Amino acid sequence: MSANSIPSRRRFLADLGFSLPGIALATLLGRERANAAIEPHFPPRARRVLHVFCPGGVSHIDTFEYKPSLEKWHGQPLPGDGNFVSFQGKNGNLMQSPWKFRQRGESGKWISDLLPNLSQHVDDMAFLHGMTSKSNTHGPACVFMNSGFVAEGFPSAGAWVSYALGSANDNLPTYIAIPDVRGIPPAGPANWNAGFLPAEHQAITLNTAEPIRNLARPPQISSDVDQATHAFLRQANAWEAERHPGDRALAARIAAYELAGRMQLSAPEAADLAQESAAVHTLYGTEDANPLLAAYARNCLLARRFLERGVRYITLYCGSRASGVDGLLNWDAHKTLKADYERHGPILDRPTAALITDMRERGLLEDTLVLWTTEFGRMPTHQEGTVGRDHNPDGFTAWLLGAGVKGGVSHGATDEFGRKAVENVTTVYDFYATVLHLLGIDHTRATYYHNGIERRLTDVHGHVIREVLAEA
Amino acid sequence: MLDPSFSLRGVAHSLGAWLSRLMVICVTLLVLPVSTVVGAETENAALAVLEAHCTKCHNPDEKKGELDLTTRETALTGGDSGAALTAEQPAESLLWERIATEEMPPTESLPQAAREVIRAWLDAGASWERTLQAPKPAKKTEEAWYLRPLTAVEPPVKDIPEEWAGHPIDRFIYARLYQQGLEPAPLADRRTLIRRATYDLTGLPPTPEEIEAFVDDPREDEEAYEALLLRLLQSPHYGERWGRHWLDVIRFGESHGYEQNHLRDNAWPFRDYVIRTFNEDKPFDQFVLEQLAGDQIAAGDPDVEVATGFLVAGTHDTVGISNLEGQLQQRANDLDDILSTTAAAFLGLTLNCARCHDHKFDPLSQEDYYRWQSIFAGVRHGSREWAAPDAEQARHSTLRPLRERQEQVEDQLAALQEEGQERVVAQREELLERFTHPAVDPLGTEETFESVTARYVRMTIAATSGGAPVLDEFEVWTTGETPRNVALASSGATVSARATRTDDGDPEFYSAKHLIDGELGEQWISGEGGRGQFTITLAEETQIGRIYWSRDRQGAYRSSVPTEYVIEVSRDGEKWQTIADAEHRRPYTEELLEEALLEAVWTEEEHQRLADLRSAQAEVRQALRAIPPLPTAYVGNFEQPEQPTHLLVRGNPMDEGDVVAPGSLGALAGIVPEFVLDPQSPEGERRLALARWLTHDDNPLAPRVWANRVWHYHFGRGLVATPSDFGENGIPPSHPELLDWLASRVRQLGWRLKPLHLEIMRTRAYRQASTFHEENAARDADAVYLWRFRPRRLTAEEVRDTVLAVSCKLDRSQGGPGFRLYRYTVDNVATYYPIEEFGPETFRRGVYHQAARSVKPDLLGEFDCPDCSLPAPRREMTTSPLQALSMLHGKFVLGQADFVAQRIAEEIPHDIPAQVRRAYVLALGRPAEDHETQAAAQLVQQHGLSALCRALFNLHEFVYVR
Repeated sequence: MSANSIPSRRRFLADLGFSLPGIALATLLGRERANAAIEPHFPPRARRVLHVFCPGGVSHIDTFEYKPSLEKWHGQPLPGDGNFVSFQGKNGNLMQSPWKFRQRGESGKWISDLLPNLSQHVDDMAFLHGMTSKSNTHGPACVFMNSGFVAEGFPSAGAWVSYALGSANDNLPTYIAIPDVRGIPPAGPANWNAGFLPAEHQAITLNTAEPIRNLARPPQISSDVDQATHAFLRQANAWEAERHPGDRALAARIAAYELAGRMQLSAPEAADLAQESAAVHTLYGTEDANPLLAAYARNCLLARRFLERGVRYITLYCGSRASGVDGLLNWDAHKTLKADYERHGPILDRPTAALITDMRERGLLEDTLVLWTTEFGRMPTHQEGTVGRDHNPDGFTAWLLGAGVKGGVSHGATDEFGRKAVENVTTVYDFYATVLHLLGIDHTRATYYHNGIERRLTDVHGHVIREVLAEA
Repeated sequence: MLDPSFSLRGVAHSLGAWLSRLMVICVTLLVLPVSTVVGAETENAALAVLEAHCTKCHNPDEKKGELDLTTRETALTGGDSGAALTAEQPAESLLWERIATEEMPPTESLPQAAREVIRAWLDAGASWERTLQAPKPAKKTEEAWYLRPLTAVEPPVKDIPEEWAGHPIDRFIYARLYQQGLEPAPLADRRTLIRRATYDLTGLPPTPEEIEAFVDDPREDEEAYEALLLRLLQSPHYGERWGRHWLDVIRFGESHGYEQNHLRDNAWPFRDYVIRTFNEDKPFDQFVLEQLAGDQIAAGDPDVEVATGFLVAGTHDTVGISNLEGQLQQRANDLDDILSTTAAAFLGLTLNCARCHDHKFDPLSQEDYYRWQSIFAGVRHGSREWAAPDAEQARHSTLRPLRERQEQVEDQLAALQEEGQERVVAQREELLERFTHPAVDPLGTEETFESVTARYVRMTIAATSGGAPVLDEFEVWTTGETPRNVALASSGATVSARATRTDDGDPEFYSAKHLIDGELGEQWISGEGGRGQFTITLAEETQIGRIYWSRDRQGAYRSSVPTEYVIEVSRDGEKWQTIADAEHRRPYTEELLEEALLEAVWTEEEHQRLADLRSAQAEVRQALRAIPPLPTAYVGNFEQPEQPTHLLVRGNPMDEGDVVAPGSLGALAGIVPEFVLDPQSPEGERRLALARWLTHDDNPLAPRVWANRVWHYHFGRGLVATPSDFGENGIPPSHPELLDWLASRVRQLGWRLKPLHLEIMRTRAYRQASTFHEENAARDADAVYLWRFRPRRLTAEEVRDTVLAVSCKLDRSQGGPGFRLYRYTVDNVATYYPIEEFGPETFRRGVYHQAARSVKPDLLGEFDCPDCSLPAPRREMTTSPLQALSMLHGKFVLGQADFVAQRIAEEIPHDIPAQVRRAYVLALGRPAEDHETQAAAQLVQQHGLSALCRALFNLHEFVYVR
């Protein structure tokens, strides 16, 4: 039992004017009922989150933020800043995007030809072009984007949502991370850890190549043995309850075993892509000749099936760690931007676009919030001696779509060349203040005490970005 | 759950503080309704609002956004966003815009009434006579209970019944129970007690034999129990259990963390040191001294020097960053980790909260923070040689003659080189003529030769400019009027390589097919280190006259270029003819060029001498390499900082403030004699001074925090429930007098822990049964006041160790490198894959697991083993479906269940009821009751003993201590 969280949560409820005594208050807080959602602070617009994360640092100026000046000044030095030094070293002159941009949708948003399928959804997207990061190193920056802290050991956004809202189903995990089949992202599990929150809020990881660990009954335990064992355990638990009346921990353990039992049935069913029609498979591209595209497409389909079944928060990764060769396994195009993104762009583009289309058709977007993020952007210049771009934590793009989001808007911008966010600069704190707001949570009031501080996902910062909220 | 009266007090307290803050504004506002405020009253009211809501950040010290709102002048000057107040048109001021749009204040919403006051004041011309005060930290030193000197407390005597009067601790406990109207539980029986005490002191279950011996001990309860405690305190497993607690507190991990997260394979000596410290019952003040300054107090003694592993037990970002800001930030983060851990572990203070500004709640200033940063400014992450002086001496005397020989040979070589060098200078132009072809070019190297008929073309690479050979394209051109490249897959050519790199994700990424795909970008990488070979088969025999190959035609990479190679052709794939090689090419780098020139000027005799000297050099180097280096341990390095430490404005490493001297915390200035050293003082002295100050007899916080930690581990909850935070945000002590009494005892017992364990475990409070009591529970559900012994779940390591102890497979060997429950791969960054097969090397105690940050394999993670990225002063104890899954299905548990079954079947063949009884006592430490034996025997009859053992591991009782 957490000795420290309850007084603090009581404190904030007391500040709100609640004054319920003892036990009733604990029940209201739902701390003991991790699998029951608590009352949000105000009516939520979204009940679920799908978070697509592209590790490696996606270049905003080659995807979603059009900078015609780069074409005009291609090959010229970046005005004012010369050959400045960034993460990997010196920068050369300005470099235009290898892809053409064109206007898409009714909103006429300029999008790069790298992502033709995602472009079809621009009228539903709300872009944040003024994002900034506190780190220019992949690991810390990924963790920052996922948890609001550069250091590891803090809860990820999904863990916070799990903690604050609890589960929305009674037979599946609350929070799932779906790593790319090529491997886990930079800083690995720190991206979906529960940090100092109770372990139950950590994401369960799975993808179409690797099911939930230890979920399936192993072959050496026959179904008969298993049933007899469970019957024995039920009996033994009943005797234990008689011996120790009032033992809440025992009740919690029995409940956890029951949930595990239900998950054994539900998760494989949810993960069974064979139940989907051929048309759906074709839409996503699960049989595509490019094995990496097909694998990501299957993960997309998996995500939709889990969302439909009430999983609260899913982070879906497109790209993995920083390998020995920059830009090979993720979006980290230091040396050869064009070749790298010709590999990663198509993998992301068609399946993600299909996922959005599919979710819309099934009505899932009514109460699902879709987020697309990366840990930072890239420089408008080329890296000296290469045709790639270095890390740029001073300006990049994220977007939101779906429940409660005003589509077709662009909020914030980087400067003329894409070097730094200058207009409506936003941070990860603002981003998650907005996400939590859409989930019905006041980000300043979802706190957990740890090592001297009432911790929040948004630290001591964050403003809801009202410009991207749809009219209620 | 906490007792309501306790938490309500907390609520009242915080509400009080909140209300008093609010009063400043509200009283003024209530007395002066907006419509009637005029003149000086408006000014007073408005300035009170600014004072309460704005000057916390916008004051001369903090100046958030470079803005100071304490005077009219500074408001007119403004900050980053311009003037806050406009003298001519106050009503148009930026100040109002920010308030009106609710952008400011950032973390609270300004009440409507307050906003109206500001509006009225601005409209009235914004007169501003006085200087506003920034609110001070909520607590001053004199108000903070935890900073007060220890007081001599007498245990209460009034109303204490006889059985609670014998032990001073019990008198404190009973007095609070009585005061709260809570009825204590009876004493636990012997069987419960031995299980509780054995887990508590060793982290392992008692064996059935130990249980029986204790239950049947004919001595009086007290005497038998005392003997039990003394035995357990002598167990070598004691240090493993209590050492593990300390490793939690100080975030000890065996990988670097952050993105790369490489393993530290030599961090374990510190873990062993901690275990040894507890087993030897080294006084805690000595332990503090050694961990902060072991190198200072016992230079040359590896057993003590290893203690500074404490300083660098945390995370360390190893990614190379080119820009200065990134580098400074990494360094500042390292130091932050060290100083915050030190403040939290020894003083229970959250000094980390004062990195960017003064602590918001506790009397810790930003200057305090940087004083401590200065104390640790000489500490660097890394390994140090770790050996006894005689080992060092012995190594030195073996090395000396070899080093002398090496020097001799190298001198002779240098003399010869010099002579050759002179000749090269004289004949340079002439010598250069031998290089008839330009150097290889990574962008593209052309080979021309006399026209030849070929079906096969192959390139054999003997050396590169470094690393495995890499090529992105290899073109073979025909002769004739319109030459064309025939080495193209699209023209029917095929390619095969002797070996290709395949270990990086998709095995096709570096395929040789990229050589003939006609596209740039993707490359072939050889799988043979510095060598490699590939053969291109043309569609048909072709007359060829030119080859053009490149390493990276886009110009990004210059390494891994073939520098020694031969290109051959063949018509039948059997007989080969050389058409090009690197011999007449100018060497690739200037360095290689100079070497080649030298080689050309030696006489034959000199060549011989050179060869002899080189082989002598190689020999002596070989001999030197054969002498093993001294072992190293990850215990940090110490370097005198070149610059004094500066306070960093808002914690920004690019914004240096004043120089700060290493020194003690201001808050304890009147209590412990303070120290302030010269900003350039030797770095080791700084750490030593801090260690002495921490353990000074007058320091009340160190013994309080230590006593509380010990209590926390015995009872599952500290007297202060937040053991690393005694400050305002922590939870106040449930028994403040007892805490002071215990802290005084810590000193009286000479900071030794074992006698303290005895004192605590002898109490009736500790020996109580865990019997549930509904009325008590309604008032104090979590038994904060100890009306019963709180049942506790086993820690992750205990669960695992117990499974192994029950199966009799536990490997009790102590110390040395740890075992791994993951497979470790490195490719720039480390990746950890949970293992699937659990061999005997994994049967050691959990404390010996080589824990990597953010990596929590299987049982360990599921049962709340903390992530060692941050200190874990207390462990969460959760219950989750994943625990169920890994206990029911995990290969480790299933394998061990089979071992238990085997063990029992060997001990007791054929008698199922006896086997069941044995299984119960092994797994649960108690005999099975008849109805249990019956049910269990039925399971065994139908499905075997393994099924029962698996079931017992999944009982709630198995993972709980009562």
